Amino acid sequence: MTTTTRTNLSPAALEARRGRPDRLSSVKRRDALTGYAFTAPTIIGFLIFVLGPLIAAIYLSLTKYNILTAPKFVGFDNYARMFRDERLATTYGNTVLYVGAAVVLINGFALLFAVLINQKLPKAMTYFFRSAYFFPYLVALVYVSIIWQALFQKDTGILNYYIAGLGGERIDWLNSSEFSKVSVVIVDTWRNLGFAMLIYVAALQEVPKEMVEAARVDGANEWQVFRRIVLPMISQATFFNITITIIGAFQIYESVIVLTRGGPGDASRSVVMYIAEVAFNKFDMGYASAIAVTLFIIIMLVTLAQFRLRKSWVNNE
Amino acid sequence: MSNLNAAVPPAAVIPVTGKGKPARRRPGIGKSLSIALLILGAVGMIAPFLWMFTTSLRDASHAYDLPPQWLPAEWDWSNYADAVSGPVPILKNMFNSAIIAIAVSIGMIITAPMAGYAFAKLEFPGKNTIFVGLLSSLMVPAQVTIIPLFLLMRTFGLLDNPLSLILPGITGALGVFLLRQFFLGLPQEIIDAARMDGANAWQTYRLIALPLAKNAVSTLGVITFLGSWNAYFAPSIFLNSTETATLPLGLVLMLGPYGAGNIAQVMAATTIAIAPALIVFLVAQRWIIASLTQSAVKG
Repeated sequence: MTTTTRTNLSPAALEARRGRPDRLSSVKRRDALTGYAFTAPTIIGFLIFVLGPLIAAIYLSLTKYNILTAPKFVGFDNYARMFRDERLATTYGNTVLYVGAAVVLINGFALLFAVLINQKLPKAMTYFFRSAYFFPYLVALVYVSIIWQALFQKDTGILNYYIAGLGGERIDWLNSSEFSKVSVVIVDTWRNLGFAMLIYVAALQEVPKEMVEAARVDGANEWQVFRRIVLPMISQATFFNITITIIGAFQIYESVIVLTRGGPGDASRSVVMYIAEVAFNKFDMGYASAIAVTLFIIIMLVTLAQFRLRKSWVNNE
Repeated sequence: MSNLNAAVPPAAVIPVTGKGKPARRRPGIGKSLSIALLILGAVGMIAPFLWMFTTSLRDASHAYDLPPQWLPAEWDWSNYADAVSGPVPILKNMFNSAIIAIAVSIGMIITAPMAGYAFAKLEFPGKNTIFVGLLSSLMVPAQVTIIPLFLLMRTFGLLDNPLSLILPGITGALGVFLLRQFFLGLPQEIIDAARMDGANAWQTYRLIALPLAKNAVSTLGVITFLGSWNAYFAPSIFLNSTETATLPLGLVLMLGPYGAGNIAQVMAATTIAIAPALIVFLVAQRWIIASLTQSAVKG
């Protein structure tokens, strides 16, 4: 269309017409080139270190590969094998337990402390509490696990010392099949609740005070105010925190290594530990990739669900 | 009578008790109770670190003596000297960690602001698609890419080499996202004015936009440094000798299986390892909290 109308014009008129768009488009082109140049390092890094490996992992998950001989395509054999793998069931079961505990405990404690901190308190006190709760989050999970495994020792640990002092029985925190999981949950909750709490505090500060006051004047008690007004207003933060804790807990790894080495047996082993073992001790790269892909799918679904739900039933003011 | 009682709407009762005096007095008691709870929680957060520090100053043979000491009775720094001269080369490990963390942070504060600026302020075909693609990499857990990355590093002979951790670390979607958010908030007039004055795109970015992003870039640098300094998963797979190990790996080696290592020395080394987090915390807590919470709450 445009080409036919253009051919009817004299060359001069054509020139005049093209003049402006052309100059603009050369600016545009330079802008575009700059855009590509500025984003190039990030895009290259993304292709080499994220997208490429992701595709490779999906491919490897369809093969049998032991590093020494070339990958052999086996279709969905690795995925079928997962259903027969009892160790996978155990480690995924443990991981789901860690996820459930993280969602409930981290969010429960974080919200409780956030509400308490959000009251009118002296500034120094607010600052002190906020800092104390947040600090463990900055420290590597390995380091806090190293400290906690000493505290958890059955005979020499101070936790049991105080439990015994209160008349309780010494607990085998790290070597019993129930308590090894409890220890992992304690360390995970302890380290991460400060971050979730800060998110809640930030959200609580956005709740309009007039709304809360109005509800109180109307006779609502504290619980009703919290349940009917505050909780819906901070739902976006709640959602964010739940997503973050789910994703984080599915990836639990080094705390279990330091605390219990996955034991006793597989009692506290996480699925990521199992992936690492299958891949780097048994060099069963295809099967390990297949397990890793299931983890990726779970995390992707959780993230996408957060995006979707955030738009629909979350109060998005 | 009973009929009458049943007919009284329960709602009518609530305002009376709500406005009554007990409700007024409650905040006082509630507040002391909540402060007590907060103190209890804070003690729980601080106690493990306090125990770590105190134990690091105790005579190694008495490190596990009970009852526990909460305040250092003696200030014996010999565990620190012993820790760094022990069989695990902790100082070398710390140096390795520092090199990797510094290289990764420098790379990130160069690449992420540039990309963030381009996504916020420049127009180019495919911009939104590329951005969404990058952002979706946040959904890809490290565990799914680790096997291909291991094979890649092996192919290029980079296993047991700090480059295996530096190269994947110098770019990243999270930093791009944070900086894009910042540059989106930058008024377009500032950019246009610079362009009118004849600055090219690079000069506009380097001389006008980037200096304004100083705080955001510093925050990104600090977050990246700590993330690298604290990392365990990828280093544990790419590095396999005590000489190339990073500090977290060194400390786990030092701890030994089932916590059999010398606990006073381990706590001394852990105290050293935590120092950067403590410094960051004291210096930059405010920025980090602001930038971490902002994206979650304002979305």
